[in-house]
Amino acid sequence: MAKQTGRGFAAIEYPTGMNQNGDPSQAWIKVKPDGRIDVFAGTSDIGNGSKTIQSQIVAETIGVPYDWITYDNSNTDSSPVCTGTFASRATFVAGKAAEKAALAVRERILEIAGKELEIDPGDLEIVDGEVVAKGAPQKRISVPDVAAAATWGHGELITGTGAQLKPYAAIVEPETGKVDLPPHSAISYAACAAEVEVDDETGEVRVTRLVQCYDVGKAINPTLVEGQIEGGAIQGLGLGVLENCYPYYPSVDHRGGEFGSYLAPGMEDLPQIDTIIIENPSADGPYGAKGIGEMANNSQPPAIAAAVYDALGVWVTELPITPERVLRALEAKAAGEDAPKREGKKVVFDEALSVNAVSSGGMRFGVPA
Amino acid sequence: MKAVGARLPRYDGVEHVTGRTTFVDDVRVPGTLWVKALRSPVHRADVKRLDTSAAESARGVHAVITWQDVPLLEYGHLSGLGIPADEPLLAKDDLRYKGQPIALVAAESEDAAQAAVEAMTLDLDEKEPLLDIRKAFDPDAPVIHQWGNWYPHFEAEMDRRQIRKGDIEKAFADADTIVQGVYRPAAIEHVPIETQVCLVVPEASGRLTIYTCTQALYFSMGVVAAHLELPLNKLKLVGGTVGGGFGGKVDTATETMCALLALKSGRPVKWRWTREEEFLCSSTRAPWHMEIADAVTSDGWILGRKMLTLHDSGAYARFSPYGLTKHSFHHTGAYTIPNLEFDGFVVFTNRVPTTAMRGFGVTSVSFAVETHMSRVAEVLDLDPYEVRLKNANRIGDTSPNGVVYTDPSTVPTIQAIADAMGHELPADYRAMSRHVREGALLPQHLVAQVGNPEAH
Repeated sequence: MAKQTGRGFAAIEYPTGMNQNGDPSQAWIKVKPDGRIDVFAGTSDIGNGSKTIQSQIVAETIGVPYDWITYDNSNTDSSPVCTGTFASRATFVAGKAAEKAALAVRERILEIAGKELEIDPGDLEIVDGEVVAKGAPQKRISVPDVAAAATWGHGELITGTGAQLKPYAAIVEPETGKVDLPPHSAISYAACAAEVEVDDETGEVRVTRLVQCYDVGKAINPTLVEGQIEGGAIQGLGLGVLENCYPYYPSVDHRGGEFGSYLAPGMEDLPQIDTIIIENPSADGPYGAKGIGEMANNSQPPAIAAAVYDALGVWVTELPITPERVLRALEAKAAGEDAPKREGKKVVFDEALSVNAVSSGGMRFGVPA
Repeated sequence: MKAVGARLPRYDGVEHVTGRTTFVDDVRVPGTLWVKALRSPVHRADVKRLDTSAAESARGVHAVITWQDVPLLEYGHLSGLGIPADEPLLAKDDLRYKGQPIALVAAESEDAAQAAVEAMTLDLDEKEPLLDIRKAFDPDAPVIHQWGNWYPHFEAEMDRRQIRKGDIEKAFADADTIVQGVYRPAAIEHVPIETQVCLVVPEASGRLTIYTCTQALYFSMGVVAAHLELPLNKLKLVGGTVGGGFGGKVDTATETMCALLALKSGRPVKWRWTREEEFLCSSTRAPWHMEIADAVTSDGWILGRKMLTLHDSGAYARFSPYGLTKHSFHHTGAYTIPNLEFDGFVVFTNRVPTTAMRGFGVTSVSFAVETHMSRVAEVLDLDPYEVRLKNANRIGDTSPNGVVYTDPSTVPTIQAIADAMGHELPADYRAMSRHVREGALLPQHLVAQVGNPEAH
């Protein structure tokens, strides 16, 4: 009896935005008399960091410091429509709406600055909160002075709105699944290697290391996207080896109703996590970003399952890979009962789990030998 | 300075780490009543009699609601997409899962509300539950849902979600080996730190202010407005800062019921689920059953895939038809397989309805497809990185539903992990890119689909 180690690998993809699209997000922005920026959006921040990301996009797009931004997503009276924070859409879809609103505000600031400086707005740019004439940087006016001039001099409110909506992609052939438009905003890609240590006496699987690579399009905030990836990895680890609402699924017996009987990952379960970020910009995300919030927990379970096979020579394809399942698989292997069934050119694993073994005939799956 | 690309501090980080963020349960309004629910004690039953009179006259109770108090009892999570509703806000004639809400009490304390719930009389005719999705199609299975045991896909007029592409029979005939396996990821709980919670304040103006932990303010506002048959200007949802959701707080689990109690009592009402309710009564990630058979060549090309997916929806549809459709679109994973036969079913069972969770529809298929890829490599005695690189999506390849990929990164992400793990790749695999297929990477079975969405 010993601790066995193994390595496994998986590569995945995941769509940004609601499947089939048709999910709008909107934003509007107003400028205070001293040039500070108020952003209103309906995007709930569920810990994904969308307040931060959208504030960064607005600051960058207008050309003012990040700490000039106030972000208000607090209520439906002041905030416009956002379909919601799900489907990895908050950065891509809602962030794009914020970018569009910020572009409109930038244009208004340049218009009013043009009047103040008597320069064509097209010859002006905004850098670090200052409107500057291109090629003649001594000609300048600060964004606070532009906002003050708009408020007290021109009698105008500087505001801007933005909306992002990709049209609904219909399934035009239900028989084949063919769609008339791309059903996603973008697709993100990731790969993951897992290292495990398995105790072949107790069956316990310990994930010791996860090495992960994500194509995020553009890391708007590298710290936050790393946080998503690492947090997702732990959720994926839970899915892989710990968590189960129904320990004897499909039975509903022994359902855990407390933290003592439902095993979510804790600090003691954390492996070493290495993160590699690739930036292949998406065609129309804000600054090339894609959404990776959800896929961050998709790659670990298959990488862990492959690592367990590497360590022990058994496949556990029901999740989570609990000590009980590992030990049963080892028993089956010792009894010579784990080998796939070979029939002609077919190699059939997991026969006992198949609908063919459980259904009394209502459902069948299979291919001719 | 650049804002985009910078490691700027989280907008609300200091408030969170110092415990000063205002979450829903931190909002305290004088005169607030507290809510408790009568929930189904069994997995499946017909309701013979519900008597709430003892609760209504109990000390400290200001309002009791049942299905009879809901203006529009059924409004589906996907009604906005034209999919009919199947789930009553509060159970009416039959109970479909343990924990299903039947009646609610608003009282001056949580203890008083709980005592009133326990004073209610509920007579049931218990029925045999359906729990195994693999048996749902059998002639002897109990029929547990008004639509039958599996979702009828009204919009497609088919009883399943189907993908058909290429010539599947030829792919299996041409294959050197067929690798078949079964994959079953579990239901898991979202485990947000903040359990489901809602406060509704009836304003003097006649409006309702709804403090909510929803992940989707406007979606939830639409759900409340539909059940209450009110225009949106009567509602103000306050939220936007959520103590963890992971998909479970797209369900609008508490807002409508609290609004009804606030209207009936004329008092602010708050409902905060206990951790036990969150574990046992809130929706979960779905359990899935997936069977894959791949037609492969001895050098590792995947010619075709047949797949069967059964998606355990629990007692009602909620978002499951959406999740299965998304699943079907991604059942080839990060690879290009030109011949496909996919059949997927949303299957009803007598467990808590399942719902969206991080990776909805795809977490399951990523596990199945990737574990299967590892097995294919093992059966063929090939390197698992190389099998994946070979079949990886490339620019110009087409998806299962006929969309041309414009910027896939399967190849660079796999190469990056190989480098990081010290896994040596042969020179031709090292030289692969995400660009359009050519040469040895454009075998005959992939020629027709390159850049051609009509090759379907």
